[in-house]
Amino acid sequence: MSEKLVVTGMGVISGLGKGKDATLAALLAEKSAVGAIKYIQTMHNDIPVSEVPFSDSEMKQMLNIPEEQLITRTPLMGIVAAQEAIQQAKLSENKPKRIAFINGTTVGGMEKSEQFYIDFLENDSHSQYIAAHDCGAGTDDIADYFGMFDVTTTISTACSSAINALIIGANLIKAGKVDAAVVGGTECLSKFHLNGFNTLMILDREVCKPFSQNRAGLNLGEGAAYLVLEKANDATQRGVTPLCELSGYANFCDAFHQTATSPNGQGPFLAMQGALQDAGLLPKDIDYISAHGTGTGNNDETESIAITRVFGEQTPDFSSTKAFTGHTTSAAGSVESVISILALQNNFVPANLNFAERIENITIQPNTKTKKKQMSHIMNNSFGFGGNDSSCIFSKIQ
Amino acid sequence: MEELILELKKEIIEVLNLEEITPEDIDTDAPLFGEGLGLDSIDALELMMLMQKNYGIKVDNSEKGKEIFKSIRVMAEFISNNRTK
Amino acid sequence: MVAMTLLVYSQKFNNMEIFIQSAAQISIQNPLCEDWFENPIIPTLPYNRSIEPDYKQFISPIASRRMGKLIKRAIATSLSALKQAEIQELDAIITGTGLGCVENTEKFLSAMVKEGEEFLQPTFFMQSTHNTISSQVALFLKCNGYNCTYSHRGTSFESALSDAFIQMKLGKIKNALVSGQDEMTPDYFNMLGKIGYWKNEISTDILRNSNTNGSFAGECSAAITLATEPKEQSLCKLQDIELLYKPSKERMQQAITNLMEQANISSIDAIMLGLSGDKKNDDIYKEFAQTFFADKPICWYKNIFGESFTAPSFGVYTAATCLKRGIVPQHLCYNGQNIQDIRTILVYNHFQNKDHSLILLSKC
Repeated sequence: MSEKLVVTGMGVISGLGKGKDATLAALLAEKSAVGAIKYIQTMHNDIPVSEVPFSDSEMKQMLNIPEEQLITRTPLMGIVAAQEAIQQAKLSENKPKRIAFINGTTVGGMEKSEQFYIDFLENDSHSQYIAAHDCGAGTDDIADYFGMFDVTTTISTACSSAINALIIGANLIKAGKVDAAVVGGTECLSKFHLNGFNTLMILDREVCKPFSQNRAGLNLGEGAAYLVLEKANDATQRGVTPLCELSGYANFCDAFHQTATSPNGQGPFLAMQGALQDAGLLPKDIDYISAHGTGTGNNDETESIAITRVFGEQTPDFSSTKAFTGHTTSAAGSVESVISILALQNNFVPANLNFAERIENITIQPNTKTKKKQMSHIMNNSFGFGGNDSSCIFSKIQ
Repeated sequence: MEELILELKKEIIEVLNLEEITPEDIDTDAPLFGEGLGLDSIDALELMMLMQKNYGIKVDNSEKGKEIFKSIRVMAEFISNNRTK
Repeated sequence: MVAMTLLVYSQKFNNMEIFIQSAAQISIQNPLCEDWFENPIIPTLPYNRSIEPDYKQFISPIASRRMGKLIKRAIATSLSALKQAEIQELDAIITGTGLGCVENTEKFLSAMVKEGEEFLQPTFFMQSTHNTISSQVALFLKCNGYNCTYSHRGTSFESALSDAFIQMKLGKIKNALVSGQDEMTPDYFNMLGKIGYWKNEISTDILRNSNTNGSFAGECSAAITLATEPKEQSLCKLQDIELLYKPSKERMQQAITNLMEQANISSIDAIMLGLSGDKKNDDIYKEFAQTFFADKPICWYKNIFGESFTAPSFGVYTAATCLKRGIVPQHLCYNGQNIQDIRTILVYNHFQNKDHSLILLSKC
């Protein structure tokens, strides 16, 4: 039992606002954050997105970072979210011996590179941003802000990055390499990936409609979220009350296609089944699945098939919260982990907004209204480009 | 039409990066997807972009795309009837 | 049942040995072979591209039509390493890449910035994400196992290696394919040049006696396989790996002591360092050697493989090869003569004195 891993802190920022309280309030009020583009300069301004409602300068002020300090939006959002998690877990007051920071991101410093790319190539006016381009640069910025970490690394598995960060952090603790880990992901919107998803023709021109027959693609969002993981015994010794247990997790690869999931949802199936096995739980033990549910034709159909394969016809309540936050890509796994844990703590099933009718040939449908329900175990799914599929399970402390 | 067919074959080879395939290797009437060249959904997106960029034809859903990309000949006929540039 | 499994894992934890079964590289040295061991190519230019093998032996032109150079290299080195190791069922594919698929990223970015947002090509975007490498290898091998990608600057490869090592120790996987993959396009080379990455002139003497910052660029594709059972072809044992962020001297000492105690090794025969002629970084390596291993021979590898974000994968690869052959050749010795009867090597790397890694390897 001493090996039990618990979550002792969490923090989040997304289109729904800054912090757990704002997130919970928006979820209960069924209030979507998807709307017109405000910050990104693009010709595609008919594409709705979910932006974090703060400018870089506003976030710098919140964090007491000097305006002139060179730091891109992705790490800024990361610091805001990590700070909330670190404070809740009291990592500064009562520091565990060795702490890891495992960060998921894919876009990195692209938001600046795309503005200054010509300058990078032709003159020296913005060369200071060259070193901020790679994924690890933002992780370093976040780690340096807190100055408390002993191990840091960056995961980049596209839309499943944050959940893989959680898995790596958990394994580091189990292997005795560190005593606690701050895990999650951060990603700001960029013109680069907005256009990228647009070329794949998977962006809905309205607010997305996950798991609905009339779905027409996803909405991109931005955000960051982190969890603090440690062993239950260590949390007790540090005098911190666990929020829940991280009872199981798994990572598998669909190995089918770079951007499409296999017709029978093999990767998602293996990930969900693997997480159940790791947790020592049965399908019937799961009270709610926070689905990946992007709103694309391919994802929602194959995820439904995979859920049915794992859970049979008696599927637990499930919903996608992507219509609230947009698809926060590399941060989705941790943003939705925070949402899952809020649901677990407050005993409710979040709504799957904009559902109209069941997908043809699919027998299951999501929970469409916020619903009170006693919860013990929640599964959270994140699937990425390249078939990088991961699931994890959070359980109430018994 | 034959001119357009040859032009199309060259463009497809270039945009899909079909190294070592020459226009002569592509059967004008064979299906482009599945069998034949064995192209997939991403190639279809590339072909839609090609239609828009080179011929000013906007194909905005993949169902319509499937109809048009049945073979090089079908594609060429559609282009000659609908092109705006 | 669950409790039983846990017990088995924890019993195994300390006893289980992990072996580097095989390795393969594509770099600025002759590809997919060990020519570099006896007859290295000595770089003379600041910018060097990898020498490409014939990829048709690995992958058909139709199958590779959307693949950039980096993906082709990754598939070729992965297949070569797996073949040598005779691994049938692969449990994990883990990649480290500092910059990811730069070539495709640049194609998409450049078109977007220069020609606007109207006619962008989906292929370049979908092949631009860092995890394309791991997932294309998985797709090619039809491997449903664990799949992950690390992109953490100069310690991306070690992060990947540490992941595999920990999961093997935890009993989650029995084998793994771990690789370091980075390409250096002309534009990226020029960009990094603007922030002090490169020298104008290169020679072994200049690199060894450098008083200036900057090094020279190579490209990297180095794949290794790990397994829990030794085979005749096994290159060496992977004793342990430690990642450290901004460690104090005390913490570094503690980490070294722990590594050696865990491995039950009392003395190290040589240290393999990421010395590259970049004075700022080399000073950190020299201080490390002076502080913790004052009397030990120092080896290097970037003098023949060049600098890249995943160059440390060549450190592990060359150290493993030297342990298998029992000798460190002259050109890999930074100081002193070649080293005979080599049995243990500590590979130490740091990136800008922030992220540090220690990897302890020993003869099988």
